[in-house]
Amino acid sequence: MFQLPTVQFTQEQEQFRLDVRTFLQDELAKGTFTPKCDSWLSGDDPEFSKLIGQKGWIGLTWPKQYGGQERSTIDRYILTEEFLAVGAPVAAHWFADRQTGPLLLRYGTEEQREYFLPKIVKGECYFGIGLSEPNSGSDLASVSTRAEKVEGGWIVNGQKIWTSNAHLCHYMVTLVRTSPFDGKSKHAGLSQLIVDLHAEGITIVPIKFLTGEHHYNEVFFDNVFVPDSMVVGEIGNGWAQGLAELAFERSGPERILSTFPLIDELIQELKRQNNLEGLQQASKIVARLWGLRNLSIGVAQLLESGNGDDVSIPAALVKALGTKFEQSIPEITRLIIQTYPTLDAHRKIDRFMAESILHAPGFTIRGGTSEVLYGVVAKGVVAQ
Amino acid sequence: MSEMKDMIVDVVERMLKEKVDKELVDTVEQGHWAPELWELLKENGMTDVAITEKNGGAGGDIEDLLNIVRLTGKYAAPIPFTETTFANYLLEFTNLQVIEDLATYMLCPNQAFSLENGKLTGEAIQIPWARHTKHLVTLANSTEGTHLVEIDLSQAEIKLGSNLAGEPRDTVIFQHAKVSQVSPVLSSDDVHAITTLHSAFQLALMTGAIDKINDLTVQYTKEREQFGRPIHRFQLVQQHIVQLAGETAIALAAFNNVTEALQMNNQNSEVAYARIRFEEVIQAVTTISHQVHAAIGTTHEHSLHQFTRRLWSWRDEGTSTSYWTNLVATQLLENSGDSLWEYLTSFSSNSPLLKVEG
Ligand SMILES: Cc1cc2nc3c(=O)[nH]c(=O)nc-3n(C[C@H](O)[C@H](O)[C@H](O)COP(=O)(O)OP(=O)(O)OC[C@H]3O[C@@H](n4cnc5c(N)ncnc54)[C@H](O)[C@@H]3O)c2cc1C
Repeated sequence: MFQLPTVQFTQEQEQFRLDVRTFLQDELAKGTFTPKCDSWLSGDDPEFSKLIGQKGWIGLTWPKQYGGQERSTIDRYILTEEFLAVGAPVAAHWFADRQTGPLLLRYGTEEQREYFLPKIVKGECYFGIGLSEPNSGSDLASVSTRAEKVEGGWIVNGQKIWTSNAHLCHYMVTLVRTSPFDGKSKHAGLSQLIVDLHAEGITIVPIKFLTGEHHYNEVFFDNVFVPDSMVVGEIGNGWAQGLAELAFERSGPERILSTFPLIDELIQELKRQNNLEGLQQASKIVARLWGLRNLSIGVAQLLESGNGDDVSIPAALVKALGTKFEQSIPEITRLIIQTYPTLDAHRKIDRFMAESILHAPGFTIRGGTSEVLYGVVAKGVVAQ
Repeated sequence: MSEMKDMIVDVVERMLKEKVDKELVDTVEQGHWAPELWELLKENGMTDVAITEKNGGAGGDIEDLLNIVRLTGKYAAPIPFTETTFANYLLEFTNLQVIEDLATYMLCPNQAFSLENGKLTGEAIQIPWARHTKHLVTLANSTEGTHLVEIDLSQAEIKLGSNLAGEPRDTVIFQHAKVSQVSPVLSSDDVHAITTLHSAFQLALMTGAIDKINDLTVQYTKEREQFGRPIHRFQLVQQHIVQLAGETAIALAAFNNVTEALQMNNQNSEVAYARIRFEEVIQAVTTISHQVHAAIGTTHEHSLHQFTRRLWSWRDEGTSTSYWTNLVATQLLENSGDSLWEYLTSFSSNSPLLKVEG
């Protein structure tokens, strides 16, 4: 069985955590944001993103020459935990910070880095994830959106779906087929393009989430021109590049903490009631949370030390276990305390319950379903 | 058991299938309802099932009525059917006059209104459909004890609210409002009987929604293809299908046993066990169905959430599961001499539901 490294924070890191926390508490007191569950994906607030950018807290680990701070992956982990714990609206810049930046640092051209990274760091440039299509969900390699070579670039036709926040994003990293589908090696011939979402030929159609909120979208491409300079990495290498992104995507604290504001409020409520028996029940949630956190931060430490190749299996495991945990929180909470969940409830715990219940189904679906992850983990464990 | 049951179920299912679609259900969340659907059911006598014929009822019995309620749950019918029919059932149960118009009820003992000289005062929250109904059948406390009263809702101040599924759950406030009918003082057994019946109506609605979710999910596994095959061919999806089938079968069987036991006035602990078990059923069924549907099931456009959100709402409304776990726990304590097996198989461990003495 693989063993993950442990992490002890330095004094500076402990201080950094406190600084971030103090800042968020101050902003909360000022009314800058309203805490909510699932805020990293469904809490978008460009003004807040810009504020975070001003603090230097986007692209924290990136080289200084692109506006980053050259801080460690663990520092970023701490920062992210603080955002999630308080339920801050970080969704607008989330994908650019988590995925696009690291992708460009690893595979992008110098020109791309110089152009995009400083904008992302300021909290002014948002990226969407253009993977899924109507007929290609779990079977992602079957995507049929295609790009054809023309003078100076590529012409894209097709459709993406479920694109979170595409209506707020400026660009989308889009997985396209650059050579015809070959049944035998379907991972070949895929490429990643940066598509300007305001380009001619793009149509973005909202899809309402089950709460009625506008969260994700369909994105249609009708002869959209993408210049050669917007190809990420190598043509035909899109699948491998995408897999590398997944380690960042799958193992972060957001796979554990989407419903943390609810856990916190549960504990507060039980404390107000002086309910020792309830707190004993809740301590089991806390212990489960900590067990998962040990795994998740261990993966972050592996990423930090550059052992990226060993990461994909534990990262998939963290996502499979972590999302199941965060999904279970409202179900456990209602066994400990009586609630009446509604989205406009006066009582905080009722509102957090409603947000958690309604968003929970997505936790074990987005970013690759649990069933697909089980396959990855099982194969990886058996192969060891 | 009424011989009409199969026929009634058949007729109502056909009507609901034809008239209730996703768009119609959406209208509830937009603040409307479906009066035409109500009229259709009324014309066909379905709103008078289980009211005795001497009171102008259409015949049929509680089992028939609960099966119609189950179907309104299965189609998420946007009408106060449960509310009106159960209000009338309670009126008959307490020997009061049944009413013609739309009605709703309030049966939570700890928000009972106060009753003084035939006037009602107080505030109650989460009253289903209050804004669209004319009468309220409610528990009320006088100096003598607890009564069931019927009152005209036009005298109430109503504040709009809704549950997680967008169904009307309003706050109702009375200030010295005149009641239309008052029952004799109810014994605690009467109140328990009313609670039992109420839980049975809720189980009926839930069973319908669970059944529908199972249908939708199985259907989807045949339609959706990934990796070149329908997803029901994947073993992990098969595991979901089996768990879902198991929970749905448990729910249907529990519901059928509840209705038959009520029908024979020998309900034993069926309602208690069913209501306790439905907690797990609802958790499993909502989680599994969404997991199998994946992204499409999280959209507003898909109808799955109209049923999952109802289950997430209904389980926290009316009598909570803890009422039933307490009851079972108390009975087990009181039956300290008996073995569990004797307790489970005894006939008289729970009092039958007798009508309130007139
Ligand atoms: C809230 C939310 C936000 C999202 N945001 C984005 C985004 O920004 N960009 C983007 O590209 N996508 C996004 N997605 C889409 C997400 O990546 C897909 O939903 C996911 O990959 C699953 O695809 P699908 O929904 O088509 O389900 P399907 O692949 O059709 O799966 C249906 C069911 O079958 C199961 N299944 C499929 N294949 C197998 C197998 N081989 N073995 C066992 N079981 C299997 C699945 O696990 C699932 O239970 C988002 C989804 C959600 C819910």
